Amino acid sequence: MSTIRLQRMPIAPAKVSFVLRIISVLLALLTTAIVLWATGRDPIALGGKVISSTFGSTFGLEDLSLLLSPLIYCGLAVAVALRIGAWNIGAEGQFNFGAFCAAGIALFVPGPTWLILILMMVAGAIGGALWILIPTLARAYADVSELITTLLMNFVAMLLVYWVATGPWLDPSGMALATTARLPVSVPPVWGIVHWGLPIGIILAFALALFFTYTRWGYEVRIAGANAGAASYAGMPVKTQLIGVMLLSGAIAGLGGMMEVAGTVGRLQGGISNNYGYIGIMVAVLARAAPLGVLATAFFMAVILNGGIILQSQGLTTHTVLAVTGLILLYAAIGDEAAHYKVLRTKTGES
Amino acid sequence: MTGLPDPIQQRLGLAPGTPPILALKGVSKYFPGVIANEDVNLEVYPGEIHALLGENGAGKSTLMNIVTGIYKMDAGEVIVGGETRDFASPTDAIEAGIGMVHQHFKLVRAFTVAENVHLGWPDTPKRISRRTLETRTAKLSEELGLAVNPSAVVADISTGEQQRVEILRVLARDAKLLILDEPTAVLTPKEARELFAALRAFTARGNAVIFISHKLDEVMEISNRVTVLRGGRKVATEWTENCTEKSLAQMMVGREIVLTETGERAAPAADVAPCLSLSDVSLTTAQGTVLKNISLDLRPGEILGVAGVAGNGQRELTYVMTGLATPTSGTITLDGADVTQAGARAMAQKGIGHIPEDRLHSGMAPTLSITDNAVLREYSQPPLTRKGWFSPKGATNLAREIAKVAEVMVPDFAMPARNLSGGNQQRLVARREMRIADKILVAAYPSRGLDVGAINTMMRYFVELRDKGVGVLLISEELEELMNFSDRIAVMFHGEIMGIVPTKGADVEEIGLMMGGKRQEAAE
Repeated sequence: MSTIRLQRMPIAPAKVSFVLRIISVLLALLTTAIVLWATGRDPIALGGKVISSTFGSTFGLEDLSLLLSPLIYCGLAVAVALRIGAWNIGAEGQFNFGAFCAAGIALFVPGPTWLILILMMVAGAIGGALWILIPTLARAYADVSELITTLLMNFVAMLLVYWVATGPWLDPSGMALATTARLPVSVPPVWGIVHWGLPIGIILAFALALFFTYTRWGYEVRIAGANAGAASYAGMPVKTQLIGVMLLSGAIAGLGGMMEVAGTVGRLQGGISNNYGYIGIMVAVLARAAPLGVLATAFFMAVILNGGIILQSQGLTTHTVLAVTGLILLYAAIGDEAAHYKVLRTKTGES
Repeated sequence: MTGLPDPIQQRLGLAPGTPPILALKGVSKYFPGVIANEDVNLEVYPGEIHALLGENGAGKSTLMNIVTGIYKMDAGEVIVGGETRDFASPTDAIEAGIGMVHQHFKLVRAFTVAENVHLGWPDTPKRISRRTLETRTAKLSEELGLAVNPSAVVADISTGEQQRVEILRVLARDAKLLILDEPTAVLTPKEARELFAALRAFTARGNAVIFISHKLDEVMEISNRVTVLRGGRKVATEWTENCTEKSLAQMMVGREIVLTETGERAAPAADVAPCLSLSDVSLTTAQGTVLKNISLDLRPGEILGVAGVAGNGQRELTYVMTGLATPTSGTITLDGADVTQAGARAMAQKGIGHIPEDRLHSGMAPTLSITDNAVLREYSQPPLTRKGWFSPKGATNLAREIAKVAEVMVPDFAMPARNLSGGNQQRLVARREMRIADKILVAAYPSRGLDVGAINTMMRYFVELRDKGVGVLLISEELEELMNFSDRIAVMFHGEIMGIVPTKGADVEEIGLMMGGKRQEAAE
């Protein structure tokens, strides 16, 4: 006779974690399928529709890429802050404010396209950094939780964008009701309707991965994020690092906003962030704050979101998609914990 | 079997043939690549306090985790009250009358004492009210002779009382065998005496205690018999009265330990220019004035001991000496240059190493890899960093080098540092700091939580540094340690230095008085 016991190990083997991640995703999809089936729909047909619409056509792939780009920026923004132990819940707001600043440049500053585009990128990044500045300083100097402050700033940025898009910056041609005029410049395309925002985001992810592993700054951020006490013991400027990393986080989200307004949408409008900032939190957490992991999880979330749009055309509500993403996060969390356990088989009843 | 001359039962005053409460036969437990326990035999009889002694990593905790059903053994037998048992979980062990109080308490801090005592206890009445729980707890507390306040919230009570709550929890579940893991590590001497009295009362009722400890004097004081483990195997079980602290220490580390040997050398000349000088240094923080007019010279090639009850400014002293805090007033000079405002990084670069008081909170990042931790002092210099580019490979090489001299076996340098034992962490930190300590090493309680063997290694390091001409500041609560190793002893009280005496010919009585706040007589 043998009994089976579970033992918790201090470290989870990478291979086990990876396999459990895949299983957790499959389980989430399976759960959704069961619910869909129970409500009288055909999950296999719906799933097939999602896959064929996403991967079966150029249009599908283009749509997917357009969703992927903002998710990469927002995921990277959250991941960077997580590296130093800060929760940037405000990528949504920084994305909006970055888009706002970039649109302002495009609408009101004349100049050659290339120059305006560069100025817009700079304005987007600075805007994003500005939008996280107050939470950053409050955290660094008054120990105020950035979790709350970054979140609250989101509402301000969103309402600001709504206001300018329906008021002062409203399209003067009268063609649109709730957006600015079409921006005179746009991020050039690389493939079909997919613009340079995507390759730049991918390059950014590789650059960040490189910096975190192969620079002195990356090492310092790692130490400060794991134990601020040890960082000050080693004489690292912990506050300066925290401020720098959080501003970088905001700047990345702001740049994402610029790419969205100048590449994908072409106009500044309310709700331009489309929850990307919040989904970015999930992207970063699933990637365990690894920049290259963000590429994979952002892709995965893009497939889910795109699937959601297709499902909506089949008569399902947006809530279904939110439920699927929530389920994935839940199962992934269970899987991460389960990866710590080892199955022990012990023989008893001998001796 | 135990090879003792008299029947154990007779010497313990038991009827002949009384079975042991707990018997272990050939217990073995293997972890990948490690022998945690092998062929351990142990018998614990009613009425005895049985000490379990061994170095860090000798297998004491694993053995007790097997006895309490947390781990499953790979071979051997556990016999409780004459019956072979195979505990599948701690609950089974508790039902069989075996309870353990861990070193780190497992209480719910937001709950009251009464709630903690009743938590997860099958005897807890189905319908409960605050009053029933508290009345029951008060009754238990009285019956078992463990004074607790049932209505107090655990977070508010002293560590000693928390421990009594833990013991009460275990005893309330009718434990016949109480296992205590380093129970006195967190207690004041008075609380320790009260604990000992409670343990004696408990065993007098025909129960038994297994007492895990590093402290030899305590083992000598409290136990009837002592079992020594080394490398996962049992070395011997002896009657405590037949042992001395020295013989126990020897059995524990398996070699003759020479605690007092500090090496032949000439006494440091008193007129050598000091390497580090504090002059009239005061520090005021949110807690008030924590350092007051400290003037202190540390000379090259000496070990300066700092005695005093913990919390009298020792930590802050290490902070100003290593640049982690800037003094509110006064000056600090290093080889004649003013370094009062230098800051931690500059001080480290000037050759000041620092073994901090709490290695897990300030000296290491326990969740990061051993490599990341090992290079904490040298990461910013070549060959690790050139022009801002960091070499992970260079870091691993350095970590390997440090682990080698620290004699720490590291299976995987990417493993989080928290997976190392406390002794090994301390060795790594000490070796890491010794590499940069060209001029000064500031060591705060370096032997805290270490066993005799590891303490000895640590002290050997300090003597080595001293002989190389480094000034060592050694802060310790163990006066004996200071008397053995330091050249001079400074005594701190309420943030002030009460006096500095040369160790040779020092009067322990006088140091004791200074620790209590009496200033040194003016004439030296």
